[in-house]
Amino acid sequence: MRYRRGKVAFGSLVALCITLAESRAWDETRYPDLKGQWRPIGDPLRFDPSKAWGPGQQAPLTPEYQALFEANLKDQAAGGQGLAQTHTCISPGMPRVTNGYGQIEVVVTPRTTYIMVEHINDNRRIYTDGRDWPKEFEPTYLGYSIGTWIDTDGDGRYDVLEVETRGFKGPRTYDSSGIPLHEDNLTVIKERIYLDKSDPSIFHDEVAVTDHALTHPWIVTKTYQREPDRQPYWREVTCAENNNRLDIGKQNYMVEDGHLMPTRKDQPPPDLRYFNRSRKQGP
Amino acid sequence: MLFRRSISIAIGGLLASVATAQAFDDATYPDLFGVWRRVNLRPGGQPSFDPTKPWGRGQQAPLTPEYQAIHEASLADQANGGQGNWQSGARCMPPGMPASMTAYGEMEIVVLPEVTHILLNHNSDYHRRIYTDGRDWPKEVEPSFQGYSIGKWIDEDGSGHFNLLEVETRNFKGPRALDPTGLPVHADNQSIVKERIFFDKADPTILHDEITLIDHAYTRPWTVLKSYQRDPSKYPIHSQEDCAGTTANVLIGRELYYLSPDRELMPTRKDQPPPDLSYFKTYER
Repeated sequence: MRYRRGKVAFGSLVALCITLAESRAWDETRYPDLKGQWRPIGDPLRFDPSKAWGPGQQAPLTPEYQALFEANLKDQAAGGQGLAQTHTCISPGMPRVTNGYGQIEVVVTPRTTYIMVEHINDNRRIYTDGRDWPKEFEPTYLGYSIGTWIDTDGDGRYDVLEVETRGFKGPRTYDSSGIPLHEDNLTVIKERIYLDKSDPSIFHDEVAVTDHALTHPWIVTKTYQREPDRQPYWREVTCAENNNRLDIGKQNYMVEDGHLMPTRKDQPPPDLRYFNRSRKQGP
Repeated sequence: MLFRRSISIAIGGLLASVATAQAFDDATYPDLFGVWRRVNLRPGGQPSFDPTKPWGRGQQAPLTPEYQAIHEASLADQANGGQGNWQSGARCMPPGMPASMTAYGEMEIVVLPEVTHILLNHNSDYHRRIYTDGRDWPKEVEPSFQGYSIGKWIDEDGSGHFNLLEVETRNFKGPRALDPTGLPVHADNQSIVKERIFFDKADPTILHDEITLIDHAYTRPWTVLKSYQRDPSKYPIHSQEDCAGTTANVLIGRELYYLSPDRELMPTRKDQPPPDLSYFKTYER
């Protein structure tokens, strides 16, 4: 009798627990703990952190885009910006934001994973709600990302976020050296994001870029380290606040103390044809 | 005996595992997921701080005489082709708090137990973090346009569900303004912004933010009620505004210029002087 009563009580508790589990809309313990503040391991100025900057990246560019890249390097050597456009505070875009220029926060929710970088318009949304590619969407520097959480070892917990990103606009480059992506913006980027198996203070992002400027997909692995402080300080970054670079016509200039200045030797001044030249010049 | 003990251990273990797994019961929090857009009451002009009144002078802001004069100067500058106190358009700057909550673009709210993220899209991505982890004000914090926000979830009716987020925000930097006419906040940036964020009781598709601004440019605390409507689409669009890439405004010193379609400099007002080109070697006076 006692045994039967115990069985009933046990059964009721199991039912209660199942109800609790069902009423819980989101069990965050099924997802990897990506909370906190992350910083890239290695130099964020390079797309492949294991190789040297610029030509040292050995990007598998087609001859046409290799020539564009080299012309860009010459322009940068002469004081220009080449193909790297972030000097005007436009977003670095994908895949360059994976370089991790600022403090990184990863926020995991069942429907969306947010990867937010304190830099220039670098915040990504990765939709994990099972949606398909929309028929139409406005191209962006960051693209449109759809992800799937995978439980690779069948232990009931997700351990890999697989992401595909499409729908880009340009111009975009891989890093500050100006390695270009194709101007058709038909890039497809696949990522695998996961915590390091032996060190949960590290996460990896395997980034595979397929692009018509490349002879084959370019695959690099990025690694990020979690700041030990669980209440980290987040610094607000506003690129426009202190940016002294501006583009007029096809030239890039800078403004110092309110004065327009050249950025390279013998640079021509802007064309002032729209001004009444008899007027006195401003600051 | 052995059986009873094993049942107790099993039950204890089961409950413990449920308790541990239940790290975040999001049903306790209001469902704020989705894209929110400001409810436009169209009182006249561009979006205003108090949405029930027209922008600019129509706001009847309780400004001190000194800051009333600053606002008038901003209006006069704008009438002459300048930007006045409003840096958001010409420089692609964030409006800063509390104008951020005017929600010029889309707003997304992500609620976690320890922090509520408010993601705003206007000019660029702006991100508010409202810490709800019980922390105190930090001793030192770098001032910012969005400020440092501490919040507390309240269960007003004891239903077991939070229905109100109370927020206080401090530690600002400037320049900030409350609307595109350049309605100013004090240059000392000592503003305190208090908010009460809650769903409309009659219409759960409407979210309210009751904002009280305490600022030395004002003769008293100024309270306004903002409202937002959730985008009903299953998969609402999150756009990426690109002010820096698309703006035609160029600020050189104190002079605002405009870029023509071929991206050459143009004046923004009659007889505006061109920029000084004396730093250019090839310039001929």
